[in-house]
Amino acid sequence: MTTNNFTGASHYVLDAELAQIVNVSMALEMPLLLKGEPGTGKTMLGHAIAESLKMPLIVLNVKSSMKLVEALYQYDTLTRLNDSRFGDSNRDVSDIEAYIRMGKIGQAFIAENRCLLLIDEIDKADTDFQDDMLDVLDQMSFDIMEIDKTVKALQRPVIIITSNAKKDLSDPFLGRCNFHHIAFPDPKMMRKILGVHFPDISDTLVENAIAAFYRLRQIDGLEKRPATRELINWIRALQSDADFNPKQLVKNDLPFLGVLFKKSRDYQTAVEQVRRRVKY
Amino acid sequence: MFIDFFYKLKDQGVPVTPTAFLTLHKALSRGLIQSLDDFYTASRSILVKSERYFDLYDQVFAHHFEGAELTDAMGLELDELARALLEQWLQDPKTIADALGMDAAELQKLTPDELIEYFKERLKEQTERHDGGNRWIGTGGTSPVGHSGHHPGGMRVGGMSRNKSAVKVAMERRYKDYSLQGPLTRAMMGEALKRLRHLRPSGPRDQINIDKTIYQTMKNAGEIEIVFDRSLKDRLKVILAIDNGGWSMDPYIPVVQTLFDYTRAQFKALTTLFFHNTIYDTLWGDPARYRKPRPIQEFVRQDPDTRLILVGDASMAPYELMAQDGSIHIAVRSGMPSIECLKFLAQTFKHCVWLNPTPRYQWDYTRTIGLIAQIFPMFELTIDGLEKAIAHLMSK
Repeated sequence: MTTNNFTGASHYVLDAELAQIVNVSMALEMPLLLKGEPGTGKTMLGHAIAESLKMPLIVLNVKSSMKLVEALYQYDTLTRLNDSRFGDSNRDVSDIEAYIRMGKIGQAFIAENRCLLLIDEIDKADTDFQDDMLDVLDQMSFDIMEIDKTVKALQRPVIIITSNAKKDLSDPFLGRCNFHHIAFPDPKMMRKILGVHFPDISDTLVENAIAAFYRLRQIDGLEKRPATRELINWIRALQSDADFNPKQLVKNDLPFLGVLFKKSRDYQTAVEQVRRRVKY
Repeated sequence: MFIDFFYKLKDQGVPVTPTAFLTLHKALSRGLIQSLDDFYTASRSILVKSERYFDLYDQVFAHHFEGAELTDAMGLELDELARALLEQWLQDPKTIADALGMDAAELQKLTPDELIEYFKERLKEQTERHDGGNRWIGTGGTSPVGHSGHHPGGMRVGGMSRNKSAVKVAMERRYKDYSLQGPLTRAMMGEALKRLRHLRPSGPRDQINIDKTIYQTMKNAGEIEIVFDRSLKDRLKVILAIDNGGWSMDPYIPVVQTLFDYTRAQFKALTTLFFHNTIYDTLWGDPARYRKPRPIQEFVRQDPDTRLILVGDASMAPYELMAQDGSIHIAVRSGMPSIECLKFLAQTFKHCVWLNPTPRYQWDYTRTIGLIAQIFPMFELTIDGLEKAIAHLMSK
């Protein structure tokens, strides 16, 4: 429906394949489900689209204990109870609607302008949540039971859903989404990503850091492999160290490994591996 | 349009739905798809809903639009070899031409695709000249397009060069690793863990305790105080019995054990026991199967809701399973054939599964596998199998 096509944003490097998928999903008005390893920029994509299409962004961070109703609206019974007892608020206690507050999905529905709804890490919630959400997103409306009112989406929001785990979502849910799996960026892509984050970085540093980074990622038996975020932080750390010389990296002299490996066991494995390689 | 393609996907086991197919047509009719490349990405994102099937999709796509051979391992190998050759060719045409006994100038006239075809033909003929073949040079290697320059302000689609056609992208089979059919490895640990997390009954979370609420409210002289209770999580007991005798099981034992140890916290109790090939009247608490015998008769005292998970290849000589004194250990004389002991266990614990690291297509070749599968529901020790096993364990 929109003629605006998504082409990328100031801090996001988009590959053509993904851009195509985003645009098709927007045109078909279907939610786009993104999967992939942590650190491949799933969440960032949502931010980038909102930025480039100048849409307001509403983020729903899914939690494991979340019920769908919480994402739609909340009926604040406790406040009402207190108001009725103390009578010191300016709300009308007999008007239930005054105690209904919109959740994130509700906000996206009642927004005046078309907005982007980012449902982050949907796999954390149980399948009931996902199945219930299906209907809401399909109908673009939901009922507020307490006041018997139907909330309809004024503008159909662009919906991006991310999922961290490789766990499968339910079939009917998948049926209503478009799907894309973001693979971990290859070194070439990584160079571009770094280019966006560090516009005036030296080429040697980038080359050596990327080479070292992909070497480190290949160590066996890591619990959490370092991702883009860690690499960016690592380069920041390297840059801030006055004594650091990019040539060290080639010789496997890697400082600040703690920035890359956040689990103590991983850190030890990495340090050991690096030390072993230096010997040869 | 593309109905053949759709059915080919279906035949190859990609779960595609007619609705999704119609959506694809909606996209087509709106002019969103203008080239084969567009079609490749768009139809994948619309039709295929899991990266597990991306690989299969790539294969079908390549087959349908380019006539690439389907699920033919030999063919694919040749493809890869031919492409590796092409890479080398681009770097050093002379050597390759010499190796193939061709004139470099003549080869230069061919397009890359013709070259690949040509190489494939040659490779089929002389299979012994493969030595350089497995040196697989970076997939995007031939891209000559400069795109490293960046614009500080805006971005960037233009920067990304994909100088390969969709068919070639498909032929790369970038998603091979996401296929879930291989046996469980360390690398898949995280994913397998996710499956195990399902092994947990979860009741409703927060409940108002009406009695306590009334009591507290009364105690407060009518000042309402609501008391919430956390509903009790009834957690599972799990017995994990591992076949740790015999070489065939060795690679899987640490994986399985770590897997369950990681998830230990979510179980009320996790007991790991060991056996060799099959179970007679004892299971063992120590991996050496020597110091801590646990007679199976004692298990009747366990909670019958305990989940029993057996891990083993279930492959042995039939008499080990069927004969009265079948054990290959001379000291074990149970008087009951092992198959009866297994049946006894299956009766004691109604929730039980057998995980088998042997690939399913080989199960028919071993008689004891079939026999044991009649007693315990048997699943492959793969991510897929694990998922099915968990589903089975959780069913009432």
